[in-house]
Amino acid sequence: MTEQIDKALAREYEAGFVSDVESETFEPGLNEDVIRRISVMKGEPEWMLEWRLSAFREWLEMEEPEWALVDYPKVDFQAISYYSAPKSMKDKPKSLDEVDPELLRTYEKLGIPLIEQQMLAGIAVDAVFDSVSVVTTFREKLEEAGVIFCPISEAVHKYPDLVKKYLGSVVPKKDNYYAALNCAVFTDGSFVYIPKGTRCPMELSTYFRINEQNTGQFERTLIVADEGSHVSYLEGCTAPQRDENQLHAAVVELVAMDNAEIKYSTVQNWYPGDENGKGGIYNFVTKRGICHTSAKISWTQVETGSSVTWKYPSCVLKGDNSVGEFYSVALTRGRQQADTGTKMIHLGKNTKSTIITKGISAGRSNNSYRGLVRMNPGAQGARNFTQCDSLLIGDQCGAHTFPYVESRNPSAIIEHEATTSKVSDEQMYLCRQRGLDPEKAVSMIVNGFCKEVFKELPMEFAVEAGKLLEISLEGSVG
Amino acid sequence: MSNTQSLLTIEELYASVEEKQIIKGLNLDVKPGEVHAIMGPNGAGKSTLGYVLSGRDGYSVESGSAVLDGQDLLEMETEDRARAGLFLAFQYPVEIPGVSNLEFLKASVDAQREARGEEAITSAEFLKEAKAACKQVNLPVSFLKRGVNEGFSGGEKKRNELMQMLLLKPKLCILDETDSGLDIDALQVVAEGVNSQRSADRSFIVVTHYQRLLDYIKPDFVHVLSDGKIVKSGDASLALELEAQGYAWLQKEPAEDELEG
Amino acid sequence: MSVWLENAIARGQGADDWLAPKRTQALELLAKTAWPTRKTEAWRYTPLRSVERSPAKASTVAANLLPTSVADLSAIELVFVNGRFDTTQLTDDLPEGLSITLGKNLSSGQQGEALANISTIKPERHLFGLINDVLSQDVLLVSVAEGVHITQPIRISSLSSQGVESHTRVFVNLAPNSRLTVIEDTHAQGDSLTTAFVEYQIASNAYLEHYRFALQTGNNVSIGGSHFNLLDHAKMHSTLVGFGSDLTRIDTDIIHAGKFADAKLNAMYLLDGKELFDLHATVEHAMPNGTTEENVRGIVADRSRSVFNGRIHIHPDAQKTLAELNNRNLLLSDRAEINTKPELEIYADDVKCAHGATVAQIDKQALYYLQTRGVSRARAQVMLNFGFINELIDLMPNAALAEWVRPMIRERFLQMEVN
Repeated sequence: MTEQIDKALAREYEAGFVSDVESETFEPGLNEDVIRRISVMKGEPEWMLEWRLSAFREWLEMEEPEWALVDYPKVDFQAISYYSAPKSMKDKPKSLDEVDPELLRTYEKLGIPLIEQQMLAGIAVDAVFDSVSVVTTFREKLEEAGVIFCPISEAVHKYPDLVKKYLGSVVPKKDNYYAALNCAVFTDGSFVYIPKGTRCPMELSTYFRINEQNTGQFERTLIVADEGSHVSYLEGCTAPQRDENQLHAAVVELVAMDNAEIKYSTVQNWYPGDENGKGGIYNFVTKRGICHTSAKISWTQVETGSSVTWKYPSCVLKGDNSVGEFYSVALTRGRQQADTGTKMIHLGKNTKSTIITKGISAGRSNNSYRGLVRMNPGAQGARNFTQCDSLLIGDQCGAHTFPYVESRNPSAIIEHEATTSKVSDEQMYLCRQRGLDPEKAVSMIVNGFCKEVFKELPMEFAVEAGKLLEISLEGSVG
Repeated sequence: MSNTQSLLTIEELYASVEEKQIIKGLNLDVKPGEVHAIMGPNGAGKSTLGYVLSGRDGYSVESGSAVLDGQDLLEMETEDRARAGLFLAFQYPVEIPGVSNLEFLKASVDAQREARGEEAITSAEFLKEAKAACKQVNLPVSFLKRGVNEGFSGGEKKRNELMQMLLLKPKLCILDETDSGLDIDALQVVAEGVNSQRSADRSFIVVTHYQRLLDYIKPDFVHVLSDGKIVKSGDASLALELEAQGYAWLQKEPAEDELEG
Repeated sequence: MSVWLENAIARGQGADDWLAPKRTQALELLAKTAWPTRKTEAWRYTPLRSVERSPAKASTVAANLLPTSVADLSAIELVFVNGRFDTTQLTDDLPEGLSITLGKNLSSGQQGEALANISTIKPERHLFGLINDVLSQDVLLVSVAEGVHITQPIRISSLSSQGVESHTRVFVNLAPNSRLTVIEDTHAQGDSLTTAFVEYQIASNAYLEHYRFALQTGNNVSIGGSHFNLLDHAKMHSTLVGFGSDLTRIDTDIIHAGKFADAKLNAMYLLDGKELFDLHATVEHAMPNGTTEENVRGIVADRSRSVFNGRIHIHPDAQKTLAELNNRNLLLSDRAEINTKPELEIYADDVKCAHGATVAQIDKQALYYLQTRGVSRARAQVMLNFGFINELIDLMPNAALAEWVRPMIRERFLQMEVN
């Protein structure tokens, strides 16, 4: 059966095409000069360059983490190009009409039309292509509500005070190896600011696309939700099918001020490599949010891509009564390796966190949940509930759970549960007896398994996510 | 009515749970030896009364008083109220695995005897009493060795409550829906146990939704609790009336009063 | 590298006895081992300062220490005093089919056989296991012949005097269809450092009933391990009761090396004062149809800290495995700390595995119930704490041991600093 599964799993990666866009790309290599050049390309002020350089110097002293259950050839950081932008972007197109039609076609092919009239109503998109933001839609409409949604490179110029105040405030420069690297070389990403008491009138979304060969993508996202505000944000990502591994090391920082709420959803579909594990994206990402009093941050992720994933979207529950949530579906197949989970750091009184994860392993993949729940001495009356479920499809894969539970407050309550199972013969038999083919049956069962998480996604994307799983599982049953 | 004669006097009691007011101006007077039935629709605050009197966490008294045998109940710790002679037979007794029934009973009896300045009972003597109590409520003696209520059926839990009552010899027993979930045979066993404990110096508050239990435990007084206060009191015949007519006619009464006012 | 470790390595060199090949092997491994820091996963929550600062010294002075008496136990006593096996305390009237011998007294042929087994069950990753390999004076070999049921329990006591460093090492072999009960017990006076490692080979259809008590408290360091290798249809039932000390660390490894093996582990720890207790329990399912059930409970009071790591590893061939781990903790004080990490690592699909971990306070409903019966809050807390642990004590197959340990646990709860 294993052979059949492997064969069946060798399906097309639909986003694997390469766009024929003329780009300006740095020679591979990393040193202070490269960082200065990035800063020049972005026309950055001096303070931003200094920030980058200090991060770079920290990074040189740091060691690559090795505790995750992933195994891959070490990244040669000198073999990567740290900047690549379509030449047509050099003069900063003022409107959509000035954007290279090939770029627009790329996003259209990915199902993200950037012409506002064609878009899903109610979703504003920032499209990031390699190292630059191509276009951000619905900006005027958002500005009317006082919402700032723009490329972070632009925010550095237009809103330096906000950027200075919050950049690195949640994920410090030397937080970890990849975060430090990101600080030194990040090129673009999105910046969001929701003013006090404002409910963002539409869903915000950033679509990340890696196109150029031998480049890394180092995006940086910063979302600040001021007191009593509310925003729902979604990111998606794809890359062409290539034989070489490419590095994606992003940092996302969320700040939820008192009574604010941020809902952050990810549908991650980076190229996962071929069935033999050749190529694919290394997805080494640091995502963290801080919740002030009575604020709420909710992370939802559907992870189906990347050859190696190293990612732990976390919440620092600093304010009393704040809430953190993490909902995750991670599907691995072929030779994919995922080590993902969350950290919930309870500092404030009566803080609450919920962690629901669904790991699905197929092929020869390995899928690990790694999480930390920490109750600090001040976390009076805090609560956590964690449920981690794993599903194995086939006998060549692995499903793992590594939860760290630390409590220093006697009034805090922590509950952690984990189970593992397979798609049972009885379930399959029932579905097939009712006339479903095995693939449909598996996808239905898996979808059911993930339902708790899918219902947390914005509606349009819940459907997308379901389809994505279906494609990913195509032929997973022999 | 003077307090010196009363065992329990509740006056203008207001109490709330999670900031929701449940008891709203309740008055009740129970004299030694009396059996009072408190009936009422679901949500009237019947169980809350027992919890408030016994001092359960989260049940806060806003105003009013409750005096048991001359002592201000509301100022006391839960265990001190028990030692003063208050016994609450729970509707849903909690299971405590690992703590044996016998150990639990002995600890309770010891604590109460000590509080009353009585001499400690020896283990052998206590075991004898406990076995006799088991027999009286029709529980196998082996239940003494099991964890408190652990894996007991609904009926067994109720009989276990009754057994505790026999051993602790309280002055005032509150039976909280003791009939719920019992079949007729179990109900009879429980009622017989209660009746055997009736005496001139022991009073009962029997909280129930149905009249059925009162066929076996004859009350001296019947009160109807509705929306946190007693809206009607009478003798045993009131229970029969309620059985026939339900509670709806009583619940309307306050509204009519308001109209008249 | 720490001074303490360098010193241990130096002391381990040059001994030329029958264990020399094992020692050389361990020394080679030690030379490659870094002294644990906070970043060393196996010691993440357990600093080794108390080892480094321990004033304990190896001693050759004879001491007259006796194992604790347990009513109605009548065990076969194997007593180690300051790391040396005390032959005078061993009965010369052993039951038929049971042999107990020090390795040095074996013929060279038998020694060769023993060498092929020792340290094959205890995993190499245990730093102090390697130190024990290097520093233990000898290995005591216990063996039950095929089909023999030994009804009298064996008790291995590791006793240490004030300020003494000692190392105990035993290898127990259960031949097919045999049965044996083994109790491991450690008692040490202040400022001592003890390592005690026991390996168990449990052949097909054999049954081991096992206990490990780590009830010494105070300023001493106690590190050890119990390591079990289960062959086809072998069974084991293990109970571990621990109090803390400056540092108490126990590693348990259960290896399902045969099909249809069955393992039960009930472990409990009750910590007070500034004690530290660390239990790492690893279960390796290497073969199919095995079952494992682990119940681990901890109560942590005052300024004490508990560490639990419960790892279940299902290898690709271990189809049809059933494995469950349940870890429950009560944190009684706002200065105490609980760190727990249940882990599942699964490489086979047709398995049922689950783990659960909770950290909470005493059940408030139960507390209220006891109070309504007149029991004071403080007493009710003691009763509930005791009940929480007593559930596992009740599962101990040996009644004499249960009766012996129960009052000690009750006493400990009475004295616990609760706030």
